[in-house]
Amino acid sequence: MIRSRVAWPLLVLLALGLGCAWLGPRPAWELPPPPVEDRPLVEPGRLHRARLENGLDVLVLEDHRLPRVTLGVTVRRGEASVPLERAGLAGYTAELMQRGAGKRDALALARSIEDLGAELSVGADWDSMTVEVSGLASDLDRLLEILADVALRPRFDPAEAAKARAERLAGLEAQKDDPKTLAAWNLARVLYPGHRFGLPLPGTPDTVRGLDAAAARAFHQRVFVARDAIVYGSGDLSAADFQRRVREGFGAWAPGEVPDPGPPPPTPAPPARRVVIVDRPDLVQAQIAFGHEGISRTDPQRYAVSLMNSVVGGGGFSSRLMERVRADAGLTYSVGSGFVLRRAPGPFVVQTFTRVPEARRVIDLVLSVLDRARTDPPTPKELRDAQSDAVGSFALGLETSDAIADALVGLDVYGLPQDALDTYRGRIRAVTTAETAQAALDHLHPERMGIVVVGPAKALRPQLEGLGPVEVVKP
Amino acid sequence: MRTPSRRLAALLLPLSLVLAHAAAAAPTVEDPALRTQITKLDNGMTVLTLEDHTTPVVSLQIWVHVGSRDESRYSGLAHLFEHMMFKGSKHIGPEQHARLLEARGGQVNAYTTQDVTVFHEDVPREALPLALDLEEERIANLDISEKTLTSERQVVLEERRLRTEDDPEGRAMEMLLATTFMAHPYRRPVIGWRSDVEKVGVEQCRRFFHTYYAPNNLVMVVVGDFDTAETLAHVRRVFGPLRPVKSIPRSPTEEPPQRGERRATVEFDVRSPSVWAAWHAPATGHPDGPALDVAGQILSGGRASRLYRDLVYQAQQALSADGGYWELQDAGLFYAEASVRPGASIDRVESLLFSEIARLRDAPVGAEELERAKRQLLVSLVNGLATNHALASRIGGDYVLLGRIRPLEERIAQLQAVTAADVQRVARTYLQDSGRSVVRLVPPAEAAAKAPPSAPGRRARKGSAR
Repeated sequence: MIRSRVAWPLLVLLALGLGCAWLGPRPAWELPPPPVEDRPLVEPGRLHRARLENGLDVLVLEDHRLPRVTLGVTVRRGEASVPLERAGLAGYTAELMQRGAGKRDALALARSIEDLGAELSVGADWDSMTVEVSGLASDLDRLLEILADVALRPRFDPAEAAKARAERLAGLEAQKDDPKTLAAWNLARVLYPGHRFGLPLPGTPDTVRGLDAAAARAFHQRVFVARDAIVYGSGDLSAADFQRRVREGFGAWAPGEVPDPGPPPPTPAPPARRVVIVDRPDLVQAQIAFGHEGISRTDPQRYAVSLMNSVVGGGGFSSRLMERVRADAGLTYSVGSGFVLRRAPGPFVVQTFTRVPEARRVIDLVLSVLDRARTDPPTPKELRDAQSDAVGSFALGLETSDAIADALVGLDVYGLPQDALDTYRGRIRAVTTAETAQAALDHLHPERMGIVVVGPAKALRPQLEGLGPVEVVKP
Repeated sequence: MRTPSRRLAALLLPLSLVLAHAAAAAPTVEDPALRTQITKLDNGMTVLTLEDHTTPVVSLQIWVHVGSRDESRYSGLAHLFEHMMFKGSKHIGPEQHARLLEARGGQVNAYTTQDVTVFHEDVPREALPLALDLEEERIANLDISEKTLTSERQVVLEERRLRTEDDPEGRAMEMLLATTFMAHPYRRPVIGWRSDVEKVGVEQCRRFFHTYYAPNNLVMVVVGDFDTAETLAHVRRVFGPLRPVKSIPRSPTEEPPQRGERRATVEFDVRSPSVWAAWHAPATGHPDGPALDVAGQILSGGRASRLYRDLVYQAQQALSADGGYWELQDAGLFYAEASVRPGASIDRVESLLFSEIARLRDAPVGAEELERAKRQLLVSLVNGLATNHALASRIGGDYVLLGRIRPLEERIAQLQAVTAADVQRVARTYLQDSGRSVVRLVPPAEAAAKAPPSAPGRRARKGSAR
């Protein structure tokens, strides 16, 4: 039945195609897009999961194409669990973990990794911390030993702690040279006063000055607990063998208590329009950031919200913002919007930049595009394009096993279903224009956005009259 | 010319790589690039195809052999042109090229360097025919109008403000190249001088397009999930009718040898000043390349490397430090750079940086750090095989700049052959104090403190927005 219904238009198309063959076939942009085949992301037999007695999750993704492996430990807590007055502690702890572990001091640890041509990284995000090593498969034993040392047995040497603190304080100061960073930091401050999200991820000079080896050690003990952790491996390794090695290396790790994720941020954020100018008299370009509260990583509306955002400002060169601000007006090189997804609702942010005299024009354009998204929500064609973009680019973003393992661990951090990658394309296709319209109404509030402009206050201030209360600050 | 098939490659065992390492077992990697099929169309266009069905995606790249080195009057023309390629053609409206592909999940962009302009499209395999047709359409039928040039010129000027005028590193790099190269076109910024981008007109754009965007100056690279015969037939059909040009003009200018150190200062409102240095080094493909790469790795390949250990970690004077070999088609550079900790002395950081360069010349590097550097470079070569995009970039870059695809095995063998004596020899040959160019990026107050009293006025001029 279904087949015969499809066959007629197909025949007509074929006939049209043949008819044009005399003049050469028609270009592909005049033909309907060919159907996209949803291949499974991971062939059966490559992905293996296990849970050890101490509650530790183990994930292995076999891929024998190249003789390399990536191994990691992720814990499901990060900077969001840090008290306000210790802002930066998770990142500082991660830095110290790289400065000596087990029987190796900082230099010996660096040498042991780099002698293998391998790489070690320890990072802290809002909701997780990750230790990762990657290198050749033939070095699996040593890589795993280093991974276990760094995750379980960091030394937190006081001399290293003092050096790292001085380095981070200098780094915070130097980062103020970057206008985009200044815009992001000040936007966070406007949105979330009194909440951890309101301070920069690496903390502030005041909070970082108070960090030391003891604080890092205590934080490590609190968040690096087996019951809240996942060990993963991808690449040229055998699942059974890897699981056995993980049991040997991590089986004795204490289960521990799952730490508190930290309080949720205030909402609405901000309650009313606020404008901040960060005065940098030397700049010829104004960096502009807009924001208000967004949604959490697990929000049930997230598929509709992400498609709505893709139409408005998230979708590469195709978005409404790119069309209006860059392509039509030539006012910027780049403009984009995004919902920052965290365990607790992160911000919705729009970022762009323009020559200083055009700052107000760009601000008004951006606000009008956001406003219009509420009254003129994504059309059926816009939604369809955003859907096929999301579905088509899905495989591109997950081309390597490292990327797939990373995405799977990411699901796990947020307690999302393990099959969420497999169901993603179906869920994207199921979103309707009614749902994206609702998403725009619920989650775009241009009338009460925080707006931060970095540039010369003297030239900016008169332009920004009438937008809302303006505050001028030094970097 | 064809390269051996996969089966043949498997039979010729020496073609597959053996990653030798004293301590570890030696894993074997097949270099997929060996399977690249090279096809020449009658109009001179080269097509490099590498079929691989592992993931359902394809990387398509069009390498146009034109970069900023080929600009004769208006700097920035090659880059401006990269932008114009997205502004519409006979059948496709402005911006539609990217939109049509993004609506199928493609990732579309382009970049320009001193030597090449590269348009790249990573697409789901179903969208490859669309990507090919769209590429042909804009190469055959580009519409260069006054209106689109006017708006795109503003976009490029915003890019210039972002990457150069308001970016301390961009400012320093611009000055470093202009100081190091006195005569060769590499002295000009890829994005162009502001005045040139403001003044270039439709006529110059058209002439540039018809001179350089000809099939005999194009190399197409296709890597990933497609059928080679089918795709080649498609490419022949749509790209075959493009007309070649007789000759492609190139600049005759060579850089004369440098006689003595050159110095320049850039004033900018920074909390972290920085010092940048460059030495002339050989062009890409030179036999000294691997030894220079090893030297760069010993300087800044990780936390055990010399610059991090000495400048950042021990002396605690720098925030970061970096050095390495940068190879271009006509010439190369060896560079070294350090950013100063707020409050620390730039003089001290500069002398620490140059003492590390002197150390490379004065004494052979240790056996352990030599092996470490080689191993790091070798692993990064293996990592470069992980995605279609990275493979396509390697294949395209090698073919366009060297005229052939270097097998990984060859590059690894060259790396393995580098000795401590080689590293010292290239350091002595290329990294002499009298051959360096040095740029300091400092806040105006610091510069004013040392400058003669005629300096004021500069600051006000810089602050005035156009």
